[in-house]
Amino acid sequence: MKHQKDDTQLRVIARAPFQVYYEGQARIVTASNRIGRFDILPGHADFFSVIIGGDVAIQTDTETITFPTTGGVVGVRGDEVMLFVNM
Amino acid sequence: MRRASAIQKESQQIGTVGDLTGVFESIASTKVAKIKNKVELSKEFFELLWKRYSSIRIDPRTRITHIDDKEINPKKVFVIISAEAGLSGDIDQRLIETMLRDYDSSNTDIVVLGTHGANQLKQGGIPYKRYFQVPTSDDYVDVSPVIEAIINYSKITVYYEEYISLGVQGIKKLDLHSRIREMSEKADEGEEIMTADDTIFEPSLEEIAEIMEIAMMNLAFSQAILESGLAQDASRFNAMATAKKRAWELMNYYSLDFHRAKRSENDRRSREVMVGLKRKKRQRLAENG
Repeated sequence: MKHQKDDTQLRVIARAPFQVYYEGQARIVTASNRIGRFDILPGHADFFSVIIGGDVAIQTDTETITFPTTGGVVGVRGDEVMLFVNM
Repeated sequence: MRRASAIQKESQQIGTVGDLTGVFESIASTKVAKIKNKVELSKEFFELLWKRYSSIRIDPRTRITHIDDKEINPKKVFVIISAEAGLSGDIDQRLIETMLRDYDSSNTDIVVLGTHGANQLKQGGIPYKRYFQVPTSDDYVDVSPVIEAIINYSKITVYYEEYISLGVQGIKKLDLHSRIREMSEKADEGEEIMTADDTIFEPSLEEIAEIMEIAMMNLAFSQAILESGLAQDASRFNAMATAKKRAWELMNYYSLDFHRAKRSENDRRSREVMVGLKRKKRQRLAENG
């Protein structure tokens, strides 16, 4: 069966240099930048932001994964979200 | 000849040393496995970061080699990554000898990481500009204070211990800027360029690019620190394995010595008993006769 793209899911990679926090599909990614707390949902515009220290939350179908960060960068392209934290 | 009880006591002490070095050996071997895993993770991280970075830069390789052009120090800097503790064999000595072959005090500053290396430089009367403890933690390696101290030098050369295998460790030197270029060549290319026309940059493309560049510089340096730690642990493992082998050789020697001494003591006792019996026999014969 051919794999179909799921428009309701983000593909998320959240990593620190020596740690993988999460890799997989998710519904919402929440982080904070200098303006405030923001959510990334499927269909979000292409977006690049410096993120400030604080908790990052990744909400999947079954659970919410939360981890503390000292800051980093988030890049959103298509529905692919890459979080580089604690660098 | 020494007494058997004294040899037995020493043999037990050597046995304890042998057991201890065995424990250190297995700790070193576990650490090697753990660091290898961290090195792999950091390589993957770099490749992903580079993939995103290259999508926002038109010519990233030109830019990354010119971070902060404003205050370039015309001197070169040699960064030595040595061990924080002793018991790592002769690898730090080899590291310093390699660095000294290239060293010219008139145009080069030395920055040293690790107490062991700093002590060896002091003993050799070689001045160093800055000293840092080897930054390490289970979660990440914070190299930002070191990067801050060296970033403005015209050329940054890092000397560190390279892990080749558990039995073999070498000395490696690298140009930090070239290392970033090398690492980026392994990363996936072909990302489409993201521009301000189709992408929101918060706060700005410049600031994001700078954070990513510093992160990549940190990462390249962290990898050298990790590789160095790997080599030091492997060297420590080898030193411990040799010490353990020596301890067991000594144990065999003491065991032989112990049995020889024991036999000699038994022989002496037997002789004394025989002499005593003969004396008694002579006394009895004298009394009867």
